[in-house]
Amino acid sequence: MSLPVHPDTAPAHARLPFPSGASVGAVLVTAILVIALIAPWVVPYDPLYQNLLAINTPPGPEYWLGVDHLGRDVLSRLIMGSRTTLAISVGGVTLAFFIGGCLALLGLALGRVSERLVFGGIDLARAMPDILLALLLIVALGSGAVPVAIALGVSFSPFFAYVARTAYKREMAQDYVRAARLFGGGRLHVLLRHVLPNIAGGLVTQAAIILPRCIVTESVLSFLGLGSSPDAPTWGRMISDASRFIEQAPHAILAPMLTLVLLTVSLLLVGDYSRARLDPLRGARNRQGVMP
Amino acid sequence: MNLLQDIAFQLARALMQAFAIMVIVFLLVRVTPGDVVDVLAIEGDLTAEQQEVMREELGLDRPLVTEFFNWVRQAATGDLGQSLRYGRPVADMVGNALPTTLTLAASSFIIGLVLAFSTALTATMTQGRFTTSLVNLLNIWSIAFPTFCVGVAAILVFSIWLGWLPVLGAMIAPVVIIGIDNAGQIAKPLFEELREAANSAHVRTARAKGLHPVRIAIAYLLPTAIPIALALSGLILAGLVAGTLTMEVLFGLSGIGSLTLQAIHGRDYPVVQGAVVVIALGIVAINTVMDILHRLIDPRLAR
Repeated sequence: MSLPVHPDTAPAHARLPFPSGASVGAVLVTAILVIALIAPWVVPYDPLYQNLLAINTPPGPEYWLGVDHLGRDVLSRLIMGSRTTLAISVGGVTLAFFIGGCLALLGLALGRVSERLVFGGIDLARAMPDILLALLLIVALGSGAVPVAIALGVSFSPFFAYVARTAYKREMAQDYVRAARLFGGGRLHVLLRHVLPNIAGGLVTQAAIILPRCIVTESVLSFLGLGSSPDAPTWGRMISDASRFIEQAPHAILAPMLTLVLLTVSLLLVGDYSRARLDPLRGARNRQGVMP
Repeated sequence: MNLLQDIAFQLARALMQAFAIMVIVFLLVRVTPGDVVDVLAIEGDLTAEQQEVMREELGLDRPLVTEFFNWVRQAATGDLGQSLRYGRPVADMVGNALPTTLTLAASSFIIGLVLAFSTALTATMTQGRFTTSLVNLLNIWSIAFPTFCVGVAAILVFSIWLGWLPVLGAMIAPVVIIGIDNAGQIAKPLFEELREAANSAHVRTARAKGLHPVRIAIAYLLPTAIPIALALSGLILAGLVAGTLTMEVLFGLSGIGSLTLQAIHGRDYPVVQGAVVVIALGIVAINTVMDILHRLIDPRLAR
């Protein structure tokens, strides 16, 4: 048995219109996801094949997005790159979700001392800018797809931990939690059986908000030459590679850059909408009449 | 008394954070697979024996704990060790790179702050649709357009297509780009805070008694915005670090970010350690000062 999340906020959600920005965003995100999933079957050329006769060819009927400085098809690299970029970023967010969420909830459920310890560590991680932390972790773990995902997961986990703490504290003050405790439920039992279902929505929303930031950070790391291996193209690496030949082949840099911006903006629009719709914090504030 | 206790608490926390950061940086850099000798061995054909001798000379064979405390003791006296590749003192290398980074960071910080304050204040005072959307535009800009993308686009448009700026070594473009990014991160929260302040009773009273709007903005609104700006300093700093790092690499400026990246690629531990520790401790120090200032200005924060 798990109790419904704030039943009285449902009408407010129903009144929220589905904005056109979010629907355009959703369509674009879905399109990019589908292309990334079926990438190996839709790429026009081998993303690693070098056609030395076509170096720096601008976009045209044969190569839709042109050819880069090594004679590789930009469109094929972009499509295959979406795969790597998305896999690493989604992996990073998932890791951050579990590391941040689990650590915070365990720390909170096990009492005051463990809360202090866990959040002391998390505050420390927050004291360093996430790019610096990710950089250090990559130094320690070596470059490659998995280390980058781990680095992103660790650097972004504090965001989930803070959301989990706020939601947990709010839920613990509710009557249903007190009732469950009075019926003899242990801390962990109450956490898993009653509190978790009610705060999962907030954590998932946070994941939607963090994902675009994660994609950008992954691209920055690839751009700095710390991303995955050279054989697996990522958008950041494409930008970094092409930046040395920006004069001869501007298309090779514009294509990954515009795609990156398009995807992050789409994800932001979807994330904003899902926050407005799902975030229990906003619902709580609405009820108190603090926020319009 | 209470105030002093709070400040002492902040300082103690800063010290603990500093120590923890040194431990983390040291450990993460040291567990790296492959050391500088491996890199040099590939580059310069060293025999296994020569490699052993080199490791002994460089102290790479000693236990980690001994190494750590040696490093901390030396760092406390301003000695960050020597670069394994260039043999120069790390402190000198960091010291040479620091002015570039600090100039870059400080000028973009000022631009960002001025831009954020001016747009947020005008938006609050005019309550106009245009000025409000300007704040929103800044906000969306900083989230959607990562600085390195804007940098690449700026090089393409201004240097190559229009031929205005030299591609490398120029400070103007990176400063403006990081500044706008910074402004975007704080303009929105600043605006929300200011709007709330503008609706509060004392501002309404001031308006009702006919005080000039500019006077209200400067004497009534601005002071309420200072604490929130201090509270946002962590966000600003994170943006500055990420911004300077990528801009230095992109525009070929020899700051601390370029230094760190070169050292990472060359597995030059002492330089990586030194540079990252200097950045991280600098951030802890600035954050602590901001927290203390925040506490001094805003008595509501008393615990």
